[in-house]
Amino acid sequence: VSTERGSKLERLFRHPLYNIRPPDLGPEEQLLQEDELMNYCKRKVSRWERLKKFYIEAAAASNITIPDHPVTFDPEASWLQFHLGISRYALYSGDDSIIDRLLRDMQTATIISADFTQDEKALKGACDCSQVVKPSGLHLKLALKLQDFGKAMFKPMRQERHEETPENFFYFVDFQRHNAEIAAFHLDRVLDFRRVPPVTGRFINVTGEILDITHNEELRSVFFTSPANNTCFFAKCLYVCKSEYAVCGHPDLLEGSMSAYLPGLSIAPRISIPNPWIRAYSFTGREEWEVNPLYCDNVKKLYPYNSGNRLLNIIDMAIFDFLTGNMDRHHYEIFTKFGDDGFLLHLDNARGFGRHSHDEVSILAPLTQCCMIKRSTLFRLKLLAQSEYRLSDVMRESLSRDPLTPVLTEEHLQALDRRLGHVLRTVGNCVKKLGEPQVLITDFVESSRVTS
Amino acid sequence: MILFRKFRVLILMVFLVACTMHIMIDLLPKLEKRAAGSSSSAGGGGGCSCAHTPGEEPRSWAKQRSRAAAAAEPGWPNKHSLRLLQDFSNEPNSNLTSHSREKVTERAESGKRVRPLQPDSEKRGLMRDTVSGQKQRAVQGSSSLKALYEQPLYKTDLPHLSEDDTLFNLNSDVRFYPKAAGQQEWHNEGNVEEEEYSPTGEATAESYPNWLRFHIGINRYELYSRHNPVIGALLKDLVSQKITSVAMKSGGTQLKLIMSFQNYGQALFKPMKQTREQETPPDFFYFSDFERHNAEIAAFHLDRILDFRRVPPVAGRLVNMTREIRDVTRDKKLWRTFFVSPANNICFYGECSYYCSTEHALCGKPDQIEGSLAAFLPDLALAKRKTWRNPWRRSYHKRKKAEWEVDPDYCDEVKQTPPYDRGTRLLDIMDMTIFDFLMGNMDRHHYETFEKFGNETFIIHLDNGRGFGKHSHDEMSILVPLTQCCRVKRSTYLRLQLLAKEEFKLSSLMEESLLQDQLTPVLIQPHLEAMDRRLRLVLKVLADCVEKEGFPSVVENDLDGQPSSHHHQAH
Repeated sequence: VSTERGSKLERLFRHPLYNIRPPDLGPEEQLLQEDELMNYCKRKVSRWERLKKFYIEAAAASNITIPDHPVTFDPEASWLQFHLGISRYALYSGDDSIIDRLLRDMQTATIISADFTQDEKALKGACDCSQVVKPSGLHLKLALKLQDFGKAMFKPMRQERHEETPENFFYFVDFQRHNAEIAAFHLDRVLDFRRVPPVTGRFINVTGEILDITHNEELRSVFFTSPANNTCFFAKCLYVCKSEYAVCGHPDLLEGSMSAYLPGLSIAPRISIPNPWIRAYSFTGREEWEVNPLYCDNVKKLYPYNSGNRLLNIIDMAIFDFLTGNMDRHHYEIFTKFGDDGFLLHLDNARGFGRHSHDEVSILAPLTQCCMIKRSTLFRLKLLAQSEYRLSDVMRESLSRDPLTPVLTEEHLQALDRRLGHVLRTVGNCVKKLGEPQVLITDFVESSRVTS
Repeated sequence: MILFRKFRVLILMVFLVACTMHIMIDLLPKLEKRAAGSSSSAGGGGGCSCAHTPGEEPRSWAKQRSRAAAAAEPGWPNKHSLRLLQDFSNEPNSNLTSHSREKVTERAESGKRVRPLQPDSEKRGLMRDTVSGQKQRAVQGSSSLKALYEQPLYKTDLPHLSEDDTLFNLNSDVRFYPKAAGQQEWHNEGNVEEEEYSPTGEATAESYPNWLRFHIGINRYELYSRHNPVIGALLKDLVSQKITSVAMKSGGTQLKLIMSFQNYGQALFKPMKQTREQETPPDFFYFSDFERHNAEIAAFHLDRILDFRRVPPVAGRLVNMTREIRDVTRDKKLWRTFFVSPANNICFYGECSYYCSTEHALCGKPDQIEGSLAAFLPDLALAKRKTWRNPWRRSYHKRKKAEWEVDPDYCDEVKQTPPYDRGTRLLDIMDMTIFDFLMGNMDRHHYETFEKFGNETFIIHLDNGRGFGKHSHDEMSILVPLTQCCRVKRSTYLRLQLLAKEEFKLSSLMEESLLQDQLTPVLIQPHLEAMDRRLRLVLKVLADCVEKEGFPSVVENDLDGQPSSHHHQAH
């Protein structure tokens, strides 16, 4: 690779398609107002300082010392800037140095506290072993608080890079893969969707950075030392049900993915909407879209898919999921502030990149059944199919910046190119059948930009 | 006139139709019950062709069994069990001589027993001529197992057995066997020929199914005798008998199925959970390890090679999950967990406390699943067993340690506690320790004995599924009972030394013995080699003991009164 030509990734981001300036944002098009967010955070910090003293005293009573990490509240902190940058068009803008700063902070910042996530706490310890599909709160993940008071969700490594999902596994019992979370963020950025919160890989010292600093008694109780003298911890319900074993450090170090938290629900409410192309989540059941090829005609008539670009956003998401092989997209979230025209958040991508040798075509059903796609998306997909911007190459380069590189094996990268080809052929067939004007939709948000 | 004639024809027709109908109605149930005789009427002729086929179908178990024993059925699928039979017939002291040591059965049986066996061995001789090259190789290889059994150490006698030393008294107890109803059935269904020989209608031991003959053979000193042909036949039954019903075993931690056979025998089925190559992850505790079907099979063979004979016979079998599990179970809980996987394989996960979830579903390919079938021991109602806590039981806790792990003089305490203060119990524990160490089984929390025999009896080595988990690791803590007590039976010590010799290498004996199983290769090479390595470690521990405490206080001579017994045995 000659330096003169520069990296493929940089050239991709310099390409005119990736350099369309969005119109200036009015206050209504931004998710958060600066003073509102700062006040919210100051309140949070002072509450934290109060509670911390109480926790440390309580722990000392049972002979446990928790180190007292001071919190530095900095209005310039990368996570605050990330939150402030969320607009109605995307989670962050194209040339965002803040995102790189945020990724770096999540890799290096001292962890001051660890706890269960809110959706796990919301289950209040309920655990039904006979449930075939376990609620997402039961899966092993932790909320880590960083020194700058930012938060990240930690998903530990569960599977080796070269391992594929066993062939007899249904999508709803598949593993959660930390590398899939990381790769999904990079893919989303390469596709210029910018709908996945920033994710980075990190080695965590499970003893020093989780066990010793947690204020949660229950979290401390799931830690143990294995016969091989490694420090391990487990997801209580799944461990009790014997459906999952613990994760273990070597002897303390454990790799995992850190995803940046979105703004709290109290200042930036979101709603979770069932995907029209949801799966049955049972061994035998089939959903209507799996048997009815004209399913999209029904969806097109239904609110909110009958107007605006919501359906086109769903199709974007389907393409994204097909490329990663994620069959587990049962719900999607949107910020309520932006209403029906807001973008869809692509959260929770840990079940992608499970099989490099198999392309699950059913994920692409929204595209094959509706036969429409955003013109801007298609242009970028075509660009990424060209050899000078080949998707696998830009992804390999983008992922090489992560501390856990190689995040994806070569087979998975090759599969991305193969799947991209499949998407383009599907669009081609649609154009042949219905004609370009029917298939390529110049969505109103980006119309002015694409034509420039 | 014409009208009348037409009418007559009509009446005739109606009559004919009525007749045919009548005959048909009469005949149909008979046809279904494969009635052989067809009536003279022309109407019955049509049913004739199909009446024959079902007529040949019903066979008594006795017929099947004798055929199986004869191995004469053309196209008999199981080459390995054939080889098993050959091996025995090759023995200088094969069937005919060996059962002279089965004093129990011999006493009860008339000379008639010999009769059906003789043609068997002839047929086996014929079969040997037809062996393929591959089998030839196995037969050649069989020489080292054969040679092992010719060693004087493998020809020791049991003490004389009295009525108190056998688990069942053939004439009184067996009649009350819960399957006594079945016993009647065997005879009603049994072929007429055999009944001619027992005019009283009394069942002879010869006509019992192999599982019952196995039960009858249990005595104070062993589960089965050294060259008992019944064990070979029983292993074959486990592989070939039709499965008539399946139930989930309650209580156990991991999924086990109870399978009942056509001949009323029962066996414990442990499905395959791991591939042969997989090792137990290093972070797994012994109590969260998987149970392995191949460990169950290999343990039986190892136990036999060590001449302990304390493991009930186990055979591997490929089971059709649809026909042989799902379709014959009446257990709704089990039935409910069957599903078809995305790869179109049949899977199920059952209900149990360990690894019975979708994530650990057991899947066939597409519907064949491997598993081990362990013969049932006699029903607890007839032969009560005592369960003993292993003094060297582990803590089964993530952090706590057991007493023996912290107290180096723990054995002195055990030695003073009944039943370890007398008899051979402590020495039996040492045998079991060596057995478990060779397999790497850390999960021996309890052991069982037959209540009838009191404290002077052997230990049954049940539940060996957690052995053979790591071939690259020797778990020295399993040997702690031996290192702490420094005691061993002389017979065991000598046999271990024999098995460490190049010509009787444990790994090659095991490999050869396991070839007889349908699921061969049962163990991969690294596991076989690990046994040689562990055997040397055991001998090293014993040598250290002898050096420290002197031969007489370490090695208990249990070979007294065995004056080179092989002389009157072998020829």
